[in-house]
Amino acid sequence: MSKTYKYKKIIIRRRYRILAAILIILSGGLVLLPKYQKNVGIKPETFLLNLMSPERYISTDFLANSLISKDPSILLIDVRSAKEYSDFSLPNATNIPLSTILKPDNETYLDQDGYKVIFYSNDNFFADQAWLIAKRFGYNNIFVLKGGLNAWFNTILNPEMPKTSDSELEFQKYNTRKAAAMFFGIGAVNTLNSNAATPNIAPKKIILTKTKKKTTGGGC
Amino acid sequence: MGPLIPNGIIPPEWDFVIALLIGIIFGYVLEASGFSSSRKLAGVFYGYDFVVLKVFFTAAVVAVIGIYYLDYLGFIDISKLYIHPTYLWAAIVGGIVMGLGFILGGFCPGTSLCAVAIGKIDAMAYGVGILIGVFIFSEFFSFIQPLFDGSNYGAITLVDTLGISPYWFIFLFSLVAIIAFVISDLVRKKVKKIFY
Repeated sequence: MSKTYKYKKIIIRRRYRILAAILIILSGGLVLLPKYQKNVGIKPETFLLNLMSPERYISTDFLANSLISKDPSILLIDVRSAKEYSDFSLPNATNIPLSTILKPDNETYLDQDGYKVIFYSNDNFFADQAWLIAKRFGYNNIFVLKGGLNAWFNTILNPEMPKTSDSELEFQKYNTRKAAAMFFGIGAVNTLNSNAATPNIAPKKIILTKTKKKTTGGGC
Repeated sequence: MGPLIPNGIIPPEWDFVIALLIGIIFGYVLEASGFSSSRKLAGVFYGYDFVVLKVFFTAAVVAVIGIYYLDYLGFIDISKLYIHPTYLWAAIVGGIVMGLGFILGGFCPGTSLCAVAIGKIDAMAYGVGILIGVFIFSEFFSFIQPLFDGSNYGAITLVDTLGISPYWFIFLFSLVAIIAFVISDLVRKKVKKIFY
């Protein structure tokens, strides 16, 4: 064996030892690093920004317009209890009570990109809570009906007559709302009473199939 | 942030372009490190060359340490990575078939294509063999299907099954890798040298 060969052998052996040491140090570092709880969903900063923004609210007029024009992209979610839902609900709404919103089956409705999901309850109180939970998971396209069903009743089904001093615009809005009320089955406006039977149309159930997303398919 | 494609940072339309680029680099590295020689590859079974063991073990250890560091620093979400589901008996039978083919032919599927690219005749025969194998598999698929689809355990990992911390597992895995390298080196020194 020549001298340079021996010398090279020593260098290579030393290189192997250094590489082995690096491996052990790096993997040992993983063990020793302080662990922290990782949270699913969006960052707290983004969450707070979303929380402050009123963009999540959809007005009753907008919703009425969408329902009348049969906008296929909206998905109404009723977050009240099943009994309240069966008593009265908006056309084609799906019932997901707030207490069951985290059930895996419901994820299909909330976590998708195809629909505008609109939560509503009697006011926007419970709907806002549902929105908070869903937003926390980073779901997109979720909204809240501003004022909930109470606002729906007061503005669409039983709109308040504008004062004579109000602008022309207010009267136009009133007429539109009266027409909408007729569309939603309230016969003649101003004669509304609690016994007026709303036409009992079986709600069209929107069934979404679970699409697997956000995982890479792969293999060797 | 990551993984880049599931999170939409790279659109999935780029999959093929990226695959092509990674494939070219992978092929180059395989060829450059001598993996297109069947004698070198088969050496791991006869004990005169353990480069296959060393390369794949090192790749696994480096990748797992790197991914867990990236996850720790928040660059990658490990839970979003694809885990191939475990079909237990299919994997055992497939592993035996693959191992036999490896000893007999001296290539694994990837390295055989690498060797075809530099014009090795044995690798071309091997490539034809792969196609025949694919044909037989497809023709007899209805017989094989119970094995193929059976004993599916889902996307399980060793960490879930053993119930230990992934960090300790990686540490032990690195130690095992280094011990395996040392032992394989000792074996290589004992075995008669073969020049190829």
